[in-house]
Amino acid sequence: MRVPIHIIVNGEEYHLEVKPNRVLLDVLREDLGLIGTKKGCGLGKCGACTILLDGRPIHSCLLLAAQANRREITTIEGIAAEEPHPLQAAFVEKGAVQCGFCTPGMINAAKALLDANPDPDEAEIKLAIAGNLCRCTGYNQIVSAIQSCTPSTSDRPAAARGESNE
Amino acid sequence: MSELDRELDIVGKSYPQIDGMQKAMGKTKFVTDLVLPGMLYGRTLRSPYPHANIQNIDTSRARALTGVKAVVTYADTPGIKFGPRSEDWTIFAGDKARFYGDEVAAVAAIDEDTAEEALELIKVEYEALPFVTDPLEAMQPGAQLVHDDKPANIAAEFKVEAGDVDRAFDDSHIIYEERYYTNQVYQAYMEPMAALAEVDLSGRITLWTGTQIPNMMRMTYAKALGISPDNIRVIVPDYGGAFGAKMENNIHLVAAILAQKAQKPVKLVNTRHDDFIAGNPRVPMYIDIKLGATQAGVLTAKEVTVVGSAGARLVYSMVIVATACYRVDSLYRFQHVRSKGYTVYTNTVPTACFRGFGNSQMTFVLESALDMIADQLNMDPAELRIKNGIGPNETSIHGWKITSSGLKDCVIQATEKADWQKKRQQKEPLKGIGLACCNHVSGNRPFAREFDGGAGIVRVGRDGRVTVYHGESDMGQGQKTTFAQIAAERLGVPLEMVHVADVDTDISPFGLGSFATRGTLMGGNGVLAAAKDAFRQLAKIAAEILEARVEDIECRQGKFFVDGSPERSLPFREVAAQATFARHGAPVVGTGFYKPPTVLPDPDTKYGNISPAYPFACQIAEVEVDPNTGQVSVTNFVAAHDVGRAINPMATEGQIRGGITQGLGWTLMENMAYENGEIINPDFVDYIVPSALDVPDIKPILVEPVEPNGPYGAKGIGEPALNPTMAAITNAIYNATGVRVKKLPVSPEKLLSELKKKEAAD
Amino acid sequence: MRIRSFDYWEAPSLDKALTELEISGSDAKVIAGGTDLVLNMKKKKILPSRVISLHNLKELDFVRTQDSEVRIGALTRHADIAADPLLKTHLPILCEAVGLIGSWQIRNVGTIGGNICNASPAADSVPPLMVLGAQLIVASKTAEKKISLDSFFSGPGETVLETGQILKEIIIELPKQRSAGCYLKLRRRKAVDISLAGVAFQAETTTDERRLARVAIALGGVAPTPIRVPQAEAILTGLSVDEAMTKISDCARIAAQAASPIDDVRASASYRRTIVDVFLHQSAQKVLRKLKNGGGS
Repeated sequence: MRVPIHIIVNGEEYHLEVKPNRVLLDVLREDLGLIGTKKGCGLGKCGACTILLDGRPIHSCLLLAAQANRREITTIEGIAAEEPHPLQAAFVEKGAVQCGFCTPGMINAAKALLDANPDPDEAEIKLAIAGNLCRCTGYNQIVSAIQSCTPSTSDRPAAARGESNE
Repeated sequence: MSELDRELDIVGKSYPQIDGMQKAMGKTKFVTDLVLPGMLYGRTLRSPYPHANIQNIDTSRARALTGVKAVVTYADTPGIKFGPRSEDWTIFAGDKARFYGDEVAAVAAIDEDTAEEALELIKVEYEALPFVTDPLEAMQPGAQLVHDDKPANIAAEFKVEAGDVDRAFDDSHIIYEERYYTNQVYQAYMEPMAALAEVDLSGRITLWTGTQIPNMMRMTYAKALGISPDNIRVIVPDYGGAFGAKMENNIHLVAAILAQKAQKPVKLVNTRHDDFIAGNPRVPMYIDIKLGATQAGVLTAKEVTVVGSAGARLVYSMVIVATACYRVDSLYRFQHVRSKGYTVYTNTVPTACFRGFGNSQMTFVLESALDMIADQLNMDPAELRIKNGIGPNETSIHGWKITSSGLKDCVIQATEKADWQKKRQQKEPLKGIGLACCNHVSGNRPFAREFDGGAGIVRVGRDGRVTVYHGESDMGQGQKTTFAQIAAERLGVPLEMVHVADVDTDISPFGLGSFATRGTLMGGNGVLAAAKDAFRQLAKIAAEILEARVEDIECRQGKFFVDGSPERSLPFREVAAQATFARHGAPVVGTGFYKPPTVLPDPDTKYGNISPAYPFACQIAEVEVDPNTGQVSVTNFVAAHDVGRAINPMATEGQIRGGITQGLGWTLMENMAYENGEIINPDFVDYIVPSALDVPDIKPILVEPVEPNGPYGAKGIGEPALNPTMAAITNAIYNATGVRVKKLPVSPEKLLSELKKKEAAD
Repeated sequence: MRIRSFDYWEAPSLDKALTELEISGSDAKVIAGGTDLVLNMKKKKILPSRVISLHNLKELDFVRTQDSEVRIGALTRHADIAADPLLKTHLPILCEAVGLIGSWQIRNVGTIGGNICNASPAADSVPPLMVLGAQLIVASKTAEKKISLDSFFSGPGETVLETGQILKEIIIELPKQRSAGCYLKLRRRKAVDISLAGVAFQAETTTDERRLARVAIALGGVAPTPIRVPQAEAILTGLSVDEAMTKISDCARIAAQAASPIDDVRASASYRRTIVDVFLHQSAQKVLRKLKNGGGS
């Protein structure tokens, strides 16, 4: 059997027919070609598949695609406008990106945090990304990149301030 | 003018990864993201027994399933025994499965769902056999043999002895003797192992995979498939981490066999479960250490016996055991050392490389032992290290030439930054501070017999676009950026003009790969040599136009000029265009190589010089112990690393922070647990790695003596970032509680039980 | 990892869901957020032929007070409970415990009803709900009934829910007098882990605030189901706060004896038992101090 679903992904509407046993992650990657969302474990324990569902971070590997019906989805491909999102710029500039496999999920979690709480402290940042594993960076620079996008920081990277590198 | 004396524009500065924004935007195509037209999806059926005879495999029902395009077993392979260092592998288990997870069959189908469904339809008749998982038990008389031709399951032995060890022990004032155990841990890179294989009409195989050793892998696999290495092309797209694990693994060959059989491209991605049970985790080791010292704290003699578990086949475990046996001998001024190493087969997942390569296991043991010696002597552990630490221009007991050593500076700077003296003297209950040092290599001469250097190709096209080709591997550490910085520096162009190609064995140099902390030094020197060659060719054209001598031509910030007269300049692009036109379209291609001044160790004495440069480090951990639960929090961490001159300080610090975090995980929480030969925590539910909350603010210090053999003075950093971490933390726990942990990991439960024992004894 | 094929039906209302469930019988499985069910279907531990989704039933997604009761809809997500101002004021122990479930991603999808019905012995929401004396409203096509949470579980992964029944809401009577609670959870790292042992301690004073009118203790992860420990509760009930302070050790010892933990890859039985003792000390002390100092709510 197939289930009709209507979802909005990164602002675009899709009417899809999905098998009930498929999870949202696979539909995004395989049917919509949105490979920025990664599959790290398939069991909701690594966070690489984190996307925003109605603005809230979730593990797309644990959500049946059918359950995303009538919901709004944002993936890493959808968070930049014409310029990279300030978090994307900050992650790059601060050395928060190494292999980059955790990065899309991590940035999505960070974006949801800042949308809900624009000026989080360090503990709140760490708690927000606790479900996103990174094996390369030791997290310090990820936390620092997110901090650099908060209003109370004196340490905003140039691109995050909307300035050029010159 | 030597490269080391040049004023630097780009090297030594912190640049973000040149491909960082691609990754942050989600645009990077990792191995698991690749799709080819008509591509099939593979899955592997694995043994559910640690040891079993395979009596029959019935694949008929799987083959009959709609959408299944190929089902393969041992019978579909050439049946050749092979291995990177041995001949104990087959592509699938033949008559016997030797570990829980051993490859038994595989399926290629139109989608992953169908492939997995087909696996469930394959019927295998097993006869379970007795098995052995512990290497000490495996060595006992009468133990179950993993391979019939290896008595006592001993796959390899290693011995080294120098000086007069027995006499030196007799002359020692104190001797510390203890058994330690380092457990099996998993690299837990975020992207599981994966391969995409395609076979052309001639039978030539193209393999897209995340591998640290694209070229060496090809040689191993050619043998396995009974074809010429030339008939295997390996392409390395971006991939999500490796930490030592992504070397040879049957997954690549299974993908190739499926592609051969199906005559279609096949992508095979390990599930995380597959990756846990059939990746290549760390070699667990029993280590007996005996260490002597004088009353004044001069180390007199060291003796170790190492028993490492190879698992069911040899990958690189015997080289890892050998490394554990004697690499630390060149950290201090040892004069009398004796080591024995046994690499032992067990019915467990084959073990191999993981950041540290045996040196991390032994560093944990040696640095724990040194802490106990310091304690007995009532000596500052930092002073003990400084007193014995090897210095620049010294030659170690095994002949290693220490061209630069910042070890002493590392100890001094780390202790200052951590406020060591004060914290050791004004100790608060249940809080502790501990220190550990390490050495390492930047390349390992005996790893490949033929050579150990590096090479590069630098292509400058008509538009001045620079492309660097190398044969190492960027697994996420930022190697592309390092190489781009080196090429940009030497050519005199802005970093944005330099691009670094993915490794493609049809095009790239025959590099050995990224392991042994060799990428920056070996690959970097290779790229530097190639950039010099390209520069010479361009300078010749520029000299003609500027009517000057070629040796007076300089280029900086994308402009050629005559040295001393920068006011008249030529854009780099124009010189590149002129060079291309003058050669009727041929691009400028610079090639070059680096031959390190290493000496292959003597087979008997092991005397030689295995690396052109040796990095050093001193790490300091601070902990708090909860006496009620045994839980340990690492509250502060200072890490001083002698990295030579850092090409990219931000990337170097990133390696340090990442290495320490992996070391922290190993020390406090990570463990592959076995029950009845089966790994019982093969997922991130029960294999716990550190989260953002578990890692303290890590304070890296870069100690930068200019290394004469390094590109622009650089040494490596990958592995030394982790080597001392385990002992730094356990020494801090000892300082906090008086409990010496001799088995990793320090689970809260284990520590609580030790705390109670200590309380009862006191 | 493959999920075996199944039929899927999204319920437009609770009423229709109950009708459908009655027709489908025991082959059907109800899905709420799915964070446990999907994981178990991937691991092939649960293989339903039909899944009835309650995911979009807004009627079961609420927190409200009614007289002296708080009612929480079964489909209320953990993240919403953890952040609910009403609950944070009146039942902070619940908000804190639910905030410790999984990751933020899980808390944004997982529901309190799912956490209860999944019947994990280690479910973080259950010990606090137990000490708060939670009642469950269980609906079927024909009837609605109230079940005490204390008697809801029949074994690991098993509840007294019958075919055709759906957990609809959770009712908690607000403490009448000053009260305080504490939930402590043993984890292998500082965030995102299954509870290896959990202790919930709740106490409420008498009208004159001089004695402990009610003490409730519940344990998670140390028995086939989460359990209340009445023997331990009885030791402190009726005592003054100061007297109770002196009896914590006895109470903790008895609670630890009441636990029947198992050895597994996560922890040994004896360590779990020790931790019950330790956490009971810590939680009781925290709660009693709070009450003594005029804190609580």
